[in-house]
Amino acid sequence: MSNMVEIKDLYASIGDKKILKGLNLDLEEGKVHVIMGPNGAGKSTLSKAIVGHYDIEVEKGDILYKGENIVDEEPEMRALKGIFMSFQNPVEVPGVNNAYFLRTAVNAKRKFEGKEELNAAEFLRKAKELAKELGMKPELLNRSLNEGFSGGEKKRNETLQMLMLEPDFIILDEIDSGLDVDALRSVSEGINKLKDGKRTFLIITHYSRILDYVGPDYVHVLKDGKIIKSGGPELVSKLEEEGYAALGES
Amino acid sequence: MLLLGSLDMQALQLQNAIEVYGSQNEAAKLALSRLKELGLPTKKTEQYRYFDIEPLMKQEWKLASKEKRDIEEADFLEIVDGVVTKAPKDVEVRYQKERKIEAGHFDPLYYLGHLLNEEVITIKVQSDANIKIVHHYTLPKTLISYRIAIETAPNISLQLSESFNGCDATESFVMAGYDLYVARDARVEVIKDETLVEGIYTPVFSNFVHLAEQSFAKIFTFDFGNADGLQLLQAKLEENSEIVADHLLYVKGEGKRGTVSQIVHAGINAKSDQKAKNILQDKARGIFDALIKIDPTGAGTKAHQNSKAVLLNDGAYMASKPQLEIYIDDVEASHGSTIGELDEDQLFYIRSRGITLEEARKMLILAFANEIIDDIEDPDVRESVHLSFERVYYGQGQLECIATCHGCSDAIIGEEQ
Repeated sequence: MSNMVEIKDLYASIGDKKILKGLNLDLEEGKVHVIMGPNGAGKSTLSKAIVGHYDIEVEKGDILYKGENIVDEEPEMRALKGIFMSFQNPVEVPGVNNAYFLRTAVNAKRKFEGKEELNAAEFLRKAKELAKELGMKPELLNRSLNEGFSGGEKKRNETLQMLMLEPDFIILDEIDSGLDVDALRSVSEGINKLKDGKRTFLIITHYSRILDYVGPDYVHVLKDGKIIKSGGPELVSKLEEEGYAALGES
Repeated sequence: MLLLGSLDMQALQLQNAIEVYGSQNEAAKLALSRLKELGLPTKKTEQYRYFDIEPLMKQEWKLASKEKRDIEEADFLEIVDGVVTKAPKDVEVRYQKERKIEAGHFDPLYYLGHLLNEEVITIKVQSDANIKIVHHYTLPKTLISYRIAIETAPNISLQLSESFNGCDATESFVMAGYDLYVARDARVEVIKDETLVEGIYTPVFSNFVHLAEQSFAKIFTFDFGNADGLQLLQAKLEENSEIVADHLLYVKGEGKRGTVSQIVHAGINAKSDQKAKNILQDKARGIFDALIKIDPTGAGTKAHQNSKAVLLNDGAYMASKPQLEIYIDDVEASHGSTIGELDEDQLFYIRSRGITLEEARKMLILAFANEIIDDIEDPDVRESVHLSFERVYYGQGQLECIATCHGCSDAIIGEEQ
């Protein structure tokens, strides 16, 4: 199986602070990869670097997505090409209708892919159906984007966007934080729905509980701006038992 | 011809002007006395500090004639160059010399407007009504001055929506405004929707609103375009009355536009809530110079005021000056002002879903504007204001008047070349 994403010798900083220091990571197509690591290791910086966040300056290195270096691509182009990140803290956007926003995004992607745009009725039918499956109140579609949503509602809304946009490479940045058991199960089911052996997932988490629902194929440990260890799912229990300090630099 | 700028130096000339218009009544005397106290506006006058009034005052103007015409029946009230030409059958409209003038207005042009008009257009509203006023300006290089007096009966509901059409009134100066008296227990909503295009008329609207006991007024102003204009509003609140004033400003090019206001809490337990949202593009200047004054008689007042501005370019500028003047302890009052750019996190979030930067900016700007537009209760008026805004927004670089009036609304924005 080939790699969907190859990150080579990546150095990235936020302001004057150097966060990623020569990070190398291969993400195999169709697999679920998990990144764990202590606070401040650079997990969120890595995900932001992949999606082209304005805070991050990539100083050196390549991010190859489907063989193409995307380091200089605009964020919207990365999204149109199939990269999706579920945000740790989705921003609230008062005045922008949630359904209108999502339909604009879905149709932008369909247009990019040369597909016919969804009309309002087709879109709403699909969005409401998926929202129901996620246990999301349908009225949230008519509210302003994320405005006044609870933590769980925001994460469900991120999952709804993911399901509607059908991306190829999905980054889930602490999607499990702040979720109760039921919400965690719904969100996990949403993720599993997209597992088709072709899509690649990168799950960033501190906890193993989401991994009980979404079985990972690979686990990578990020510490001090580098991947210091990669392995199978067994690495999670090792980390839980021994902590990050027990892992020496590889 | 009338040289406005000379009037403060030669009050006698103004007296002569009053005699010419035959306005030797008590209201004219009050207006003259107040105008002498305040002096005509110059660039040093506080309420005109951010607006370029001097060129208008220094120019010699031909005054628009006030020849009355037969009033045709229509489903809206049309005022052409200050003269009523059409009116709905059930709306009581007449010209009247007698009028109420507010003795404490802060704007000298409020008084000058009254002095220049021997008669005011009087609208008496006796029962629930929805009146659309179309202001039409046709005369180039002319001073078009008129005043409207609106009085409601107690315990009625009135919606007044104003639109403006002035493509032919190139380089004219419109000095107009209304005195609105809202009777006890009445409810009034005024919605002004005015797009200005560079090269046409410059408006200075000076308004006064009196809210009797337990009355309510909601004043919406939607000021769009790329040219200069100013509205000056004074509102006086009696016992248990309430005013909500929402201003949406979207100016581009080199336009200088905005609101100068005073809301005076005169009676007990009155409420005011004033909100301004300003979007400034290119080298535009926005003005929000607003005072809430709570008189010693205004115990139990609740007053809130907020201004937010988004600057879309480095050259754009917002003069925001919210102020509170409180002469009593027992009140709840707040004010605030923010000026900034579009939120980067919001922009990034939208872009991260495959929406272009340009489209993301549009989404956020429309969202900012919609927070006020969507408060309009009447769906037709709301849709019309949405359309006005989007015409200016999507017109991007070029705004121009076209010869045909679109639904009797305002300037139409040309397609981008």
